[in-house]
Amino acid sequence: MASELHAEASPTGSSPWGLALRRLRRNRVALAFGGLFVLIVLFVLAAPLWADHVADTGPNQTHTLEKIEVDGERREVVNVEGKPIGPVWLGGGGKFFLGADGRLGRDEMVRLMYGGRASLFIGFAAALMTTVLATILALLAGYYRGWVDTVISRTLDLIWAFPVLLLGIGLGIALALGGLAIGPVEIPSGSIWITVLIIGGVLVPYMARPLRGQVLSLREKEFVEASVAQGAGPLRVMFGELLPNLSSTIIVFFTLGIANAMLFEAALSFLGVGVQPPDTSWGSMIGDGFNLISSAPLLTILPGTMIFLTVLAVNVFGDGLRDALDPHSKVLLEAHSGMAEPEGTAI
Amino acid sequence: MAAFTLRRLGEMVAVLFAVSVLTFLIFNVIPASDPAQSMAGKSATPQLVASITEEWGFDDPLPQQYLTMMGKIFSGDLISYQGQENVVERIVEGIPATFSLCIGAAVIWMFFGILFGYLSAVRAGGLLDKLLTVLAVAGISIPVIWLASVLLYYLAYKTGLFPAQGYVELSEDPVDWAYHLILPWFTVAVTLVGLYSRVLRSNMLDAMNEDYVRTARAKGLGERQVMTRHVLRNSLIPIVTLFGLDFGALIGGSAILTERLFGLDGVGLYAFESIENLDLPPIMAIVLFGAFFVVLFNALVDIAYAYLDPRVKLGSSAR
Amino acid sequence: MRKLGLTLLLPVLAAGSALGLAACGGGGKEGGTLTGSYASFPDYLDPALSYTQEGWTAMYNTYLPLLTYAHANGSAGGEVVPALAESLPEITNGGRTYTLTLRKGLEYSDGTPVRASDFARSIERLFKINSPGSPFYEGIVGAEKFAKTKTGSITGIKTNDKTGEIVIDLVKPRGTFSNELGMLFAAVLPSGTPAKNITADPAPATGPYVIVKSEPGRGWSYTRNPAWTRTNGDLMPDLSAGHFDKIEIKVVNNDSTQVNEIERDKTDWMQPPPPADLYAKVKDNYEGTQFRVEHPINIYYFWMNTTRPPFDDVKVRQAINYAVNTAALERIYAGALAANHQILPEGMPGHEEFDLYPHNMAKAKELLAQANPSDREITVWTDNESPNNEAGAYYHGVLKELGFDATLKTINAEVYFSLIGNASTPDLDTGWVNWYEDYPNPNDFFQPLLSGESIAPIYNTNLSHMDDPKLNAKVAKLGEEPLGPEQEAEYAELDKAYMEQAPWVPYGTNTVSTFVDSEIDLDKVIFNPTFGHDLASFERK
Repeated sequence: MASELHAEASPTGSSPWGLALRRLRRNRVALAFGGLFVLIVLFVLAAPLWADHVADTGPNQTHTLEKIEVDGERREVVNVEGKPIGPVWLGGGGKFFLGADGRLGRDEMVRLMYGGRASLFIGFAAALMTTVLATILALLAGYYRGWVDTVISRTLDLIWAFPVLLLGIGLGIALALGGLAIGPVEIPSGSIWITVLIIGGVLVPYMARPLRGQVLSLREKEFVEASVAQGAGPLRVMFGELLPNLSSTIIVFFTLGIANAMLFEAALSFLGVGVQPPDTSWGSMIGDGFNLISSAPLLTILPGTMIFLTVLAVNVFGDGLRDALDPHSKVLLEAHSGMAEPEGTAI
Repeated sequence: MAAFTLRRLGEMVAVLFAVSVLTFLIFNVIPASDPAQSMAGKSATPQLVASITEEWGFDDPLPQQYLTMMGKIFSGDLISYQGQENVVERIVEGIPATFSLCIGAAVIWMFFGILFGYLSAVRAGGLLDKLLTVLAVAGISIPVIWLASVLLYYLAYKTGLFPAQGYVELSEDPVDWAYHLILPWFTVAVTLVGLYSRVLRSNMLDAMNEDYVRTARAKGLGERQVMTRHVLRNSLIPIVTLFGLDFGALIGGSAILTERLFGLDGVGLYAFESIENLDLPPIMAIVLFGAFFVVLFNALVDIAYAYLDPRVKLGSSAR
Repeated sequence: MRKLGLTLLLPVLAAGSALGLAACGGGGKEGGTLTGSYASFPDYLDPALSYTQEGWTAMYNTYLPLLTYAHANGSAGGEVVPALAESLPEITNGGRTYTLTLRKGLEYSDGTPVRASDFARSIERLFKINSPGSPFYEGIVGAEKFAKTKTGSITGIKTNDKTGEIVIDLVKPRGTFSNELGMLFAAVLPSGTPAKNITADPAPATGPYVIVKSEPGRGWSYTRNPAWTRTNGDLMPDLSAGHFDKIEIKVVNNDSTQVNEIERDKTDWMQPPPPADLYAKVKDNYEGTQFRVEHPINIYYFWMNTTRPPFDDVKVRQAINYAVNTAALERIYAGALAANHQILPEGMPGHEEFDLYPHNMAKAKELLAQANPSDREITVWTDNESPNNEAGAYYHGVLKELGFDATLKTINAEVYFSLIGNASTPDLDTGWVNWYEDYPNPNDFFQPLLSGESIAPIYNTNLSHMDDPKLNAKVAKLGEEPLGPEQEAEYAELDKAYMEQAPWVPYGTNTVSTFVDSEIDLDKVIFNPTFGHDLASFERK
């Protein structure tokens, strides 16, 4: 891939990135979904605005015994039998726009927005962590080969061998109880960072393996040999020669990584071992609402739809990115499938 | 070939050992989780707790506890902390449900994945291809918990078309068995159909440009024959290897979510309960059970790959 | 009208049903098979180990101790009556010696005779297998030593197999001992019963039903105990022989499925209450005909640690009592909660209803302003099981509304109790907890939960760290006296005295329910508050 890009650069005179950008711009579908993603981000960023000015309540405030006025009629937020009010839309002046979330009578719309912040944050941060770690490990393993490669590969294999969801659940429960304390770094047990670390860590092998493969094949290429022959040190070769040629792959992996991380977080939080109360995420909202599915299905369907739309947007945009950066890259496609394994296996 | 196989299997054992040690450490490092105290009940006296601790060996050094537990797993004597039931027996009881779920779903996703992939490839660029691609991308993006909720609400709770929960033994009533599994099968298969069809499509499109295909066409073989005999066959190899990995991982524990959503009494559900209860003996046994399948299928895939592509045997593959 | 429909339906059911009603051949109320479902397998089917109402329900009519609890609803079910013993114990020596006589002619289901020494071995077995019930019997002379050494025998129990006499010596007088002799832990099992969990291979029975098949995780079944038919039943005519010939219980994880099966008459009875989202519907449709709310004796409350500010000020604690609205909590429990504002719940002897702090937010804020605590940082604890976690979240919200800087910590239910019971856990300010009775004696509440003696560095049950010397003395004194009307009146006063100090915010009693299909006579079903549903009381209409 590197040589192809290098070759393209010379005759036309424009950079490979410029070419990629042009190709992306022509892909209307990808752009549209990219826009959808931006809209969703804006939606969740607006959470405090909605909470303070429209709904007049926080995501955790309970309203079990309250009544609100809807279109002139006074209705209970939670009725005597424990059934929450359904979507009120604009009838209540914005309060309980999507109804109440269960017997605690919290505002579902407010929770949806705040929950999205957690889900998106975790997706983004975990994907970032995975990408950084995977890149470093792949570079090290691919450059040094030998025993460094063996150690790294075996460790990755070990994590890979663990049934992915079980590992996530196990770590989730263990760390949710006691928090994490390694040296100077201390993370309290309810923190959202625990979930980020677990997901980010567990997904590393799925990204690192294909990257390592690519580094290994790049390593053989002439320009790398040339650089080494010229006396370039390991850091120079890894970050100066190898990394730039991996950059398109990394970008695509990162994007797809967000999708996978979000799906994984949804599964963990649904099972109760991801985001812990009083924090909330779309996944934990589905978990909360699942018990009420026959009487208040929206409580599960709404957060789930948000996850679906966000992941879809990321996937379509990611595909568009991949097409723009290198339409023929086999590694990228295989990587996509390799990357999809944890999510595919996260079922 | 034999040497490679043996080496691979040896690696398998080593990995399983490492997995068991890691699991043991994770769950023994949890603070405030003293199994002796849980067993002693709410009016526990220190003496009672001490007695239980001694009897169960909770104050033995960790390596010794580890070895005792592993020994019990293989001798079939392992007893859980909660309710003190025989762990291995309970796992064996859960196997039918888990296998029914995974194998059934596998048949569905492979069939439709290959079918859609093939159709997309032969009519690449056309309307069908575009439609199938859209479905595939949507499929990969669907969160299982959402799909299950939607199906459960609309097809089970609201309309009563399908049962919402529960597993019926195949031996008891094959029709009811399948009836209870339709929604779970669909839930598991949807995501993977999308993925597999895309991978197959891509592989086939690449293969169609290969030299051997041009040769076959030049020899005068019909398009259909070229497609199925050469292109499809060669494109299936990566699919099969991918299947091995996914299936191994699915049996290995990813079925937890689906079993939980649909109340299927399999190994996954037992795993989830045990983890919630911090009940280490079943956790260890189930993790090993799961890891075994993951590692087994990994090894089988590698061996098959080595058999089919001798270049790979020498290690350091680009996988 | 309905009855007519049923008469037409019955022959059809009898003919084609897979429920095994074959034995009755189309008529009669006796005989046949009772089918039931549980949401999970009981903790143990070993009477020496089971410590849940689900387990006790399963074994109430199978394993009999020397004494038992009357098979009756409500407070009548708290009466201790003779079972394998001829009569209630003779209590002498200042409350330290209990003498009983084993009935003559009793047999186990395998035909072997029941002997007095079997009782001693059964109590010793409790200590040998580290039963969670063993603390109740540590007051027997020689028991503590036996618990440590597990060899020899408990010197304080003397038995005579020829006469059937059993004499138990206690270290101190213990007013609750008769209650404890009626617990399932004290069931008499054959002397040779192995000192390990026998759930998968249950011991022979002395009661009307014997467990014939046990598949842990899956289900279990009973048939009539031949020993009961032969001799035991005649010796204990006050205990019902049961109406069904066989009882089959299966484990069905999903509560909605269980409800569904009852509604379709496929299962006769479900042990758990209907799940929250179906509860209201089932109650509306079947109350009085197939559904009945039951009141086991338990208390759900928020404890306040009186040794940590701001809870060291009684005004603050009273203010919080005024602020919490039990009506909201009833809604949160979707109807499965009966509000309660005092230590003793309804059904417990000594319960005389009162509410010292009826909900009044204004009053709460006023009291709080008077108290004006300087430390307003509070950590609120709760476990992660629904709806307890929601109760905790509600409580957290109320504290915030009062102006406290409250943080909510939700902990895995498995480790919750040991975590909050451990003094080394930081910030144990206030939180959720519940307590189910062991037996209907108020001392079972006051002693572990509110007496200064119970405060322990680990496994603490007195989470409020309540330590009032006068009240402690009262609890100890009452604990030595067997329960009578005088004691009940004093317990009622004690209840008020404690609530005046407001160490807790009690909010309610968790209710359960009886839900049977259309064939079972709901009115005849007995729910004993301690043991749960009485399987021997189920009969067809």
